[in-house]
Amino acid sequence: MISKIMSFALCGLDGVPVEAETDINSGLPSYELVGLPDAAVKESRERVRSAIKNTGRKFPVQKITVNLAPADLRKEGAYFDLAIAIGILKASEQLAGADCGGIVFLGELSLGGALRPVAGILPLLIAAKARGFTTFVIPAANAREASYIEGVTTYAAPSLGAVLDHLTGIVPLAPVAASSYRAAQAQYRADLSFVRGQPVAKRAAEVAVSGGHNLLLVGPPGTGKTMLARCLPTIMPDMTFDEALEVTKIHSVAGVLGGEGIVAERPFRTPHHTATTVSMCGGGSHGVRPGEISLAHNGVLFLDEMPEYHRATLEALRQPLEDGCITVTRSGGAVTFPANFMLCASMNPCPCGNYGSADRVCTCTPAAIRKYRDRISGPLLDRIDIRVEVDSVRYDDLTSAAREESSAAVKARVERARAVQRERFAGTGLRVNADMGERELRQHCALSPEGDGILRLSFERLRLSARARARILKVARTIADLAESRDIRPEHVLEAVSYRQSDGDA
Amino acid sequence: MPYTKEERSAIWLDSFGIDYARKAKLLASHTPYALASQFLSLRGEICAAVGEERCAAMEASLRSAQYYGALERSYAEKGIACVTYFSEGYPEALRDIPDPPLVLYCRGDVSLLGRRKFSIVGSRHTSPHILRLTERYARELSKAFVIVSGIADGGDAAALSGALERGGAIAVLAYGFDFVYPECNAALLRKVEERGLAVTEYLPHEEPRGFRFPARNRILAALGEGVLVVSGGMKSGTRSTAEHAYQYGRDVFAFPYAPGVSSGAGCNALLKQYAKLVDDLVDIAAVFGINLTETEEISLTDAERAVFAAVREGEAHITEICAKSGLDALQVNPVLTMLEMKNLIVACGGNRYAALK
Repeated sequence: MISKIMSFALCGLDGVPVEAETDINSGLPSYELVGLPDAAVKESRERVRSAIKNTGRKFPVQKITVNLAPADLRKEGAYFDLAIAIGILKASEQLAGADCGGIVFLGELSLGGALRPVAGILPLLIAAKARGFTTFVIPAANAREASYIEGVTTYAAPSLGAVLDHLTGIVPLAPVAASSYRAAQAQYRADLSFVRGQPVAKRAAEVAVSGGHNLLLVGPPGTGKTMLARCLPTIMPDMTFDEALEVTKIHSVAGVLGGEGIVAERPFRTPHHTATTVSMCGGGSHGVRPGEISLAHNGVLFLDEMPEYHRATLEALRQPLEDGCITVTRSGGAVTFPANFMLCASMNPCPCGNYGSADRVCTCTPAAIRKYRDRISGPLLDRIDIRVEVDSVRYDDLTSAAREESSAAVKARVERARAVQRERFAGTGLRVNADMGERELRQHCALSPEGDGILRLSFERLRLSARARARILKVARTIADLAESRDIRPEHVLEAVSYRQSDGDA
Repeated sequence: MPYTKEERSAIWLDSFGIDYARKAKLLASHTPYALASQFLSLRGEICAAVGEERCAAMEASLRSAQYYGALERSYAEKGIACVTYFSEGYPEALRDIPDPPLVLYCRGDVSLLGRRKFSIVGSRHTSPHILRLTERYARELSKAFVIVSGIADGGDAAALSGALERGGAIAVLAYGFDFVYPECNAALLRKVEERGLAVTEYLPHEEPRGFRFPARNRILAALGEGVLVVSGGMKSGTRSTAEHAYQYGRDVFAFPYAPGVSSGAGCNALLKQYAKLVDDLVDIAAVFGINLTETEEISLTDAERAVFAAVREGEAHITEICAKSGLDALQVNPVLTMLEMKNLIVACGGNRYAALK
């Protein structure tokens, strides 16, 4: 007899339907698994065999053939264990009366018959729902994640035995209760009010987040660059449900989803400087997995001590910074992951870290400093609109009782500035000022003669490059938006000039 | 202009890379032309001074019809003009030192050698504040002088680039024209060759070596009517330049530094001995009887005036400037940028600022 059970395979961030067909014939006892399975899928034979036995059912001593269709799609991971087990039981007529049609089964089996969670449940269920499936059986540990999908019936089972009891109607499972998304559930541990002093850097962070500009923090070690960077997500507008879902999908596929089920906080990723290009951009030999830049989607990618990163890894960031997504091509096919992140980088002012320090002497030669700064290529620096110096904090600042502004207050201003930009760019596909091209600059960043004079002077005196002009204009536009001013006023241009790249190497 | 026979002989003699002391010994009793024209009769003397091997090479070069022509052509191809001790354009300032270079290999505007010159030197370790100050001094002094400096990173480079903004600049190199050192100043050196003058006493193929720099410093010191030392530690090469300048009877000037600033300890040591303290352009202008008053009128707003006054009290962090000027950081930041653009203050890194006047 032949049985057909539905499951889904992960392909990038999308799910592809996979049908587990099981045929049991008389003949020498054997167990064949076909349909381009990878090692983890092949090994499911042993897991399925033990799980069935330890659930108190009989593993048929006959010739068993399992086909995972479509046959030309490479199957990876342990998603199909449950579907195969149900298929074998169904084909060996041990599930008489149970109707498995239209149900999607997902889950990995342990030898004892328990269901283990799998990565990527959310994108799989979303894909299945899009293809008209509405009933799912998934591992209990994935229930939270699945509860955010509306209009479907999801059963979360702890074990194979529970699934069988449910299917045969002995002990029906209750469907997973739907959770609703509340943006306010975001709980950040960092807050801007914990950052003492640094008025200029804090302001730069506010401007950067408002206009979607990338940010470079320059300062000696131990001055709170990381602390400030950690506050960036806390002043970004709350994620909408769609944004949160997108982030959750990526985190689900990468298997880094916490117990919350949905990612409500904007991600803050800090890959170590030894990170490889693949870990940064995505890839891998066992299925294409999202990299750090995709995990930072809708959030912040923080590169601490940027010059220490591999040059090739940094250069690979250029295209995603421009396009907001990355296409990873492997022999198995090409996968596109979203990668719309804010880049925040930090670096020392010089190799010894004491350049510009009031009380410590910098021992670096100009050549050494230049070499250090040159480790970041011009084209990459071009994509960083704002550069600000974070200086050593004095003990008095650290201990002062002065009230610092909280993240919530800053966030309110950021949201107002974002609203202005939404209105401005309605229908253009742009989101924030940082996305503006030459045409939009001309349209939205007209300067008064006085403002133009300042910009001209800054080019002459501060030796700015032509490339710096567009950056300054964009940042000035954001500063004007924060001030709720329609026109870019001279003081806005001046502030934008102060966030330029240093010493004419812009 | 074709070279005279005396010049040609000097270029010929210099082309063998004979070290200075041996050259000086030969030239003490004979002119280069005499050495070339009476080579055979003087052979014994020359051989004793430079050794058999080199002597043979010199003899062979005199026998060869092509040697000198090829030499002159190769210099011309490299854009090198030679100014010899026997040339009209040889700077008088170099004639009164005990060890004048025989030939100056030049790229650029040779006429600059005949103008009034002033040397500015600084070490590689120079704070951003002093760098900007150096640029400004070089810019102002270049109204009256051609500024002479090395091409090292830091103080030297700042002096040259400041001078090039308005007037002439001479870079004195410690190596031949086949080399560029330091690499990072290649663009600056090119600019000097185009709009100013680069000179060296070394043959094109002679590479930068440690011992050539102190020797170069004597030319640097001698060329200028005075030397301004903008920075330098106790062991800095700027001290050797100053020492030469003092011995040649040139005026030595130095910026004063606060105690404990290692990049300026050498300057302070010079000030204790013979250098004149400079904290205003007038200090230099007065010595040479020149007038360097600035014509540029700079108008300031009230906020700018308040902030500038705060910065003038001494290098300060932005929070101190806020406290002194009574403005908050968000108001002060654009004002500081404006003052920076008006060349009144300089950012020293770490959100610290210093006044330039």
